[in-house]
Amino acid sequence: MRSLRVITYSWLAVVGWLVGTGAAADNDPMAFFEAKIRPVLAEKCYSCHSADSKTLRGGLLVDTRDGLLHGGDSGPAVIPKNPDESLLLQALKYDGFEMPPTGKLSEETIANFERWIALGAPDPRIGKAAEKRTIDIAAGKNFWSFRPIAHPEPPTVQNAAWSAGAIDRFVLAGLEAKGLSPAPDADRTTWLRRVTFDLIGLPPTLAEIDDFLADRSPHASERVVDRLLASAHFGERWGRHWLDVARFAESSGGGRSLVFDNAWRYRDYVIDSFNRDKPFDQFIVEQLAGDLLPHKTPAELETNLVATGYLILGAINYEEQDKQMLEMDVADEQLDAIGKGLLGMTIGCARCHDHKFDPIPTSDYYALAGIMRSTKVITHENVSHWVERPLPMEPERAAAVEQYDAQVAAIEGKLKAAKALFEKLTPKGSMPAGPLAVDSLQGIVVDDIQAKRVGAWRESTSNTSYIGSGYLTDDGEGKGTKTATFQPEFKKAGMYDVRVAYAPHANRDAAVPVSILHADGEFSGTIDERDTPPIDDRFVSLGRFRFDETNQWFVLISNEGTTGHVTIDAVQFLPVDAMEPAKEQKPELAKVDDASAKTAIKAKREMQSLQKEMKALQAKAPPRPKAMAVEEAEKIEDCPLCIRGNVHHPGPAVPRGVLQVATTGEAPTMPSDHSGRLELARWIASPENPLTARVYANRVWHHLFGVGLVRTVDNFGTTGELPSHPELVDCLAARLIDSGWSTKRLVREVVLSRAYRMSVADNATARAVDPDNRLLWRMNRKRLDAEELRDAILMVSGQMEWGCGGPVSNTRGNSEKPESSTEYGHVFTDVRRSIYTPAFRNRVMELFEAFDFADPNSVAGRRNTSTVAPQALFLLNSPFVMDQAQLAAERALAEAELTDGQRVECAFRETLGRKPSAREKKVALAAVKLDSDASAEARADRWERLFQALFGCIDFRYLE
Amino acid sequence: MCDLIQQAFNRRQALHSAACGFGYLALAGMAQGATSSGAAATSPLAPKPPMIPPKAKRVIFLFMAGGVSQVDSFDYKPEVDQHDGQMRDFNDARNVARTGKGAQSRLMKSLWKFSQHGNSGKWCSELFPEMNRHVDDLCFVHSMHTEGVAHGPATLFLHTGSTNQIRPSMGSWVTYGLGTENNNLPGFVSLVPSMGNGGPRNYGNAFLPSVFQGTAVGRAGIPAKDAEIRYIANDRRDDDEQRRQFDLVQALNREQIKDAKNESDLDAVIQSYELAFRMQQHAPEVFDLDKESPETLAMYGIGEKETDNYGRQCLMARRMAEAGVRYIQVNYSDNSNNPAWDQHSNMPKHGTHAKAVDKPVAALLTDLKQRGLLEDTLVWWGGEFGRNPFAEKNGTGRDHDPNGFTVWLAGGGTKRGFSYGETDEFGHRATENKVHMHDLHATILHLLGLDHLKLTFRHAGRNFRLTDVAGNVVHDLIA
Repeated sequence: MRSLRVITYSWLAVVGWLVGTGAAADNDPMAFFEAKIRPVLAEKCYSCHSADSKTLRGGLLVDTRDGLLHGGDSGPAVIPKNPDESLLLQALKYDGFEMPPTGKLSEETIANFERWIALGAPDPRIGKAAEKRTIDIAAGKNFWSFRPIAHPEPPTVQNAAWSAGAIDRFVLAGLEAKGLSPAPDADRTTWLRRVTFDLIGLPPTLAEIDDFLADRSPHASERVVDRLLASAHFGERWGRHWLDVARFAESSGGGRSLVFDNAWRYRDYVIDSFNRDKPFDQFIVEQLAGDLLPHKTPAELETNLVATGYLILGAINYEEQDKQMLEMDVADEQLDAIGKGLLGMTIGCARCHDHKFDPIPTSDYYALAGIMRSTKVITHENVSHWVERPLPMEPERAAAVEQYDAQVAAIEGKLKAAKALFEKLTPKGSMPAGPLAVDSLQGIVVDDIQAKRVGAWRESTSNTSYIGSGYLTDDGEGKGTKTATFQPEFKKAGMYDVRVAYAPHANRDAAVPVSILHADGEFSGTIDERDTPPIDDRFVSLGRFRFDETNQWFVLISNEGTTGHVTIDAVQFLPVDAMEPAKEQKPELAKVDDASAKTAIKAKREMQSLQKEMKALQAKAPPRPKAMAVEEAEKIEDCPLCIRGNVHHPGPAVPRGVLQVATTGEAPTMPSDHSGRLELARWIASPENPLTARVYANRVWHHLFGVGLVRTVDNFGTTGELPSHPELVDCLAARLIDSGWSTKRLVREVVLSRAYRMSVADNATARAVDPDNRLLWRMNRKRLDAEELRDAILMVSGQMEWGCGGPVSNTRGNSEKPESSTEYGHVFTDVRRSIYTPAFRNRVMELFEAFDFADPNSVAGRRNTSTVAPQALFLLNSPFVMDQAQLAAERALAEAELTDGQRVECAFRETLGRKPSAREKKVALAAVKLDSDASAEARADRWERLFQALFGCIDFRYLE
Repeated sequence: MCDLIQQAFNRRQALHSAACGFGYLALAGMAQGATSSGAAATSPLAPKPPMIPPKAKRVIFLFMAGGVSQVDSFDYKPEVDQHDGQMRDFNDARNVARTGKGAQSRLMKSLWKFSQHGNSGKWCSELFPEMNRHVDDLCFVHSMHTEGVAHGPATLFLHTGSTNQIRPSMGSWVTYGLGTENNNLPGFVSLVPSMGNGGPRNYGNAFLPSVFQGTAVGRAGIPAKDAEIRYIANDRRDDDEQRRQFDLVQALNREQIKDAKNESDLDAVIQSYELAFRMQQHAPEVFDLDKESPETLAMYGIGEKETDNYGRQCLMARRMAEAGVRYIQVNYSDNSNNPAWDQHSNMPKHGTHAKAVDKPVAALLTDLKQRGLLEDTLVWWGGEFGRNPFAEKNGTGRDHDPNGFTVWLAGGGTKRGFSYGETDEFGHRATENKVHMHDLHATILHLLGLDHLKLTFRHAGRNFRLTDVAGNVVHDLIA
């Protein structure tokens, strides 16, 4: 207080004219405000915190007294007479908030504010605090997508002959209302190519085309559809659609991209679910809460666990150092995926403030976040990690594992006995004592004199067993001031065993801190230097770490926090693949009598043979399958509302719950002993939820018609687009629910409609009325997506490997740098269907990149369909396309009995699903034409070019 | 087939005079994002008028991945030297992020001596002797601060304005706002980018239309001399054969859209081939350094072991700037999770990296200046954060410092021989005239004629911008 007075009086000396001579702050606090506080507020704060601010920050106004007292999002800014509790003062002191952001005010100015608040914060500025907008949930429920799903009757139409069912009547009624009529039916080959790609993602084969054209029965189309729905390829196509929504990827992306070795299990689960036509509501519950479901068999448990991988697959920066923020980021990512993917809601907008457009208050966001935060998905270290859970094993596999464990235990027991015997016969010190040259050791050895030393280390040779030139000791002094950093130069990337040599003694410290910076993160541990080092009496191993030639790596040993003496002799980096137990140094046994020596040698030999046996056994260890799967957190708790989304500014806790606006009837009650995920899952998967069935039915429509009835397929909120046919959306949603949430039945009904059969034919009148074809006066032309393009090429070239499922994502075996734990060097070689191609976040197959593969970083219910020059470059110049064209040409030429004309027809039918037009045929024949004496090679080259041109042409790329 | 070739030729001529982008004429992707007029859009990459009078037309960003130490280069702090070895309380960013509080740490002096340079008398260390000759052209910002303590988050923040959310990168925003001036080249190029620390997201378009995706030329780990646009060349077929293949595809294409006059998306396929073919003929020239004089090559250090790689990149950058590429990122990086400048233990390695970039960067400045390009080219040099003035874990290296670090700008309407902002007496935290990364983004956009508050894109129901809800233009940096 004394210093404050001094400041106040010195200030008075300067600006005394303003407040009148001799008027102390205590006497005229208002004048003090005018002189010392208002100018600072105006100059430093008003630009962001006044009625005139372009954008008001933090909901805080400081240009009125009410504004300050009422405060912003973080609560009152000023509590009169209580400077310590006033956020404004804390912010000025850069304690928590840092205001003004451009730089801290002078100590004097801050003291003035403290004084002013202590005086009761007198302030003549009248005016209101910022108005807080409140969300009217009940009113919000009037929006179309939040209303209960209706069961609308199909309208009556004029052209009843055209409409095959309810879908057609809704579509036709829309057209007739505008005086439009539907396009004529597509021809049969066009329809077949369309429905085959749409249902299984592949072109029809020649035999399938022939069969269909030959089948003149009225049920021919149904037969095709039922065949396609029953195909195992159906799940590969429709599973992929879901993987886009589930932002599926096989690496974490984010900053340091980590490979998800077990993500393929989730992918296979999704494919299998679609092939089985698993009810979509069950599919939802499994993914959100499979771990909480009962199960009858181990297989069922496995399915349930693998399904929850959905919650973990997101793009996450696992190396984020602020772990509290990281946890909130993970929850946010999950809510984003659930919101957009299942509910068509951009929930994430409510993380920092009430949703500006949709009736989602911030409290709803944190109600949901509490459920996610009560779920364990991440474990923390420098670079954190997602949770993996062991999978149940079939009896045979479990038995194999049990047997393996028993064998390991048996060898370990024998090893221990042999070691004990050996040690008994060759007491400590009998290992080769004395100095050991650095170059007599394997791997990379950094001696203590090569280490970068900080602080007063002393070089010692008192303990005569040292490596290189003596060892360092801190003499038990200068604790916390000494470090030694060992920087190896790696010529080859790979895994290394890191071993530290020290000079043991009873007076040494029991926990010498060591940290290692390695290519996968950071390791911290301690060494007990009291005991003789376990490896050759010299070294202790800290574990195996990956290093590469960038050589940013180090081992740092410190005497921080130690009490005993700390010694450091050397650090050895032993390449793991070069570690041979047999190469261990031979014991020196001359001093021991003969009988014992023989026994000791025998014991040593046994040890070596046991170690060999162990290695062989370990090489054949039975797999212990693990899955990315969640579990309930140790602590179930509500999440505090983070003010302005800042995890370090927690507000009151919000009881766990669901979105109010999408709740009809009673909201689910959240259990106190569980996260509430199961309740959330059932609330989403409920027929009562107005969003779920609508969003999913619209996705199905989107995939079949190329455009959704709601075009913003991931956004059913007020900022999304309105449905073109709201009643049809409800009709489809209701049918989905009534059919027991069967995807296949919904797909079947849509593709057998007359609307789906329409051609893409243009119609000038209709185009003028409805240029975007919202009313569906014709079928939309659809571009094949990246997978369809690649799969079709592989089918035509005959290279497709029809395997199903399983891991291929293991980059270690398929990388330019096999030692790498990242996807960066992955080489894409497999020729299975594209859904099995590893989907890495930081390394996407080039064809996928060029043709708008779904961005795996967020929910992508609708892919881009760009038409860009890099696609043309890819089709003209990529080795992949040229190779496949060559293989296709070889196949075509192998049919020796065909004429070139017939061969051209086959080529067109295989690639485009139709015969060439007369002119196309002319162009193609001209392209392959050669003199009769041309070489076979020249001939193959011509046919290669024709196939490449077919892969590149418009009709290959588009579905009509 | 003569008539077919003739048709192709006519079309090519027609396209040459049209203002269009990197092969992106009518785009279904674009039409989806824009209003649903249904009409073919003009190229989204066509040059667009700036929102405000611009000072710069293009950016060359020299990215020093891993984080250069400010107290070893341009932020002269005699106190670090004077108090070398003393333990002080520091709010170390990593400690604060993990534990909420700072720790005692040992001040560690620089290995490089400082002296004054240029007419401006700027204090610089001997780390970058060649750059030091240019200090009178540079505009230093010493009070930078940013988000993210680790490389991944901070690198993403530098490029996209977010540590974790999926956002478009700066180059994508710039080309979205301004288009590009050369229709034979991409508008946004990242030279030999790393796949680490966010990888493609650092030049990704995120939710912007894919035409604004940065084009990676080469990638980290591959020598710059082998860097080229993917699939721009075909080494299996000679020029004649390539032309014939192109004509064959186009002949089929034209036949297939004969009856589809109004289908702009189909026409776009034909046009994408035309443009690809033109690019194939012209783009490689830009990356071909053989046409440069021996003096120029020598000035960039091309042919010298240490500087060859970055020298080539910097010279390519100049050639691209001349050719009208809008946003050019020149990466000094690798694929490691601890990239290039990340000296946690071995400070002398800063010298190795400095050697690799110093001469090329200085040459680029000289070259741009003598060609008059520095006037409207904004050069930005810097990393994702700086390094601490104290030793990491009391060892011999420096950990990351996101709370105070230095970048410099040159040309493009920035003040010359000017230094802005200050860190504390040890160079650890920005104190005076702090410039957040959002502010730097806002300022760079402003120099290019873009208002960071108005450069928005509607996605998932709301407007997004590079600077999120923050960012102030630092007018003091502008000449």
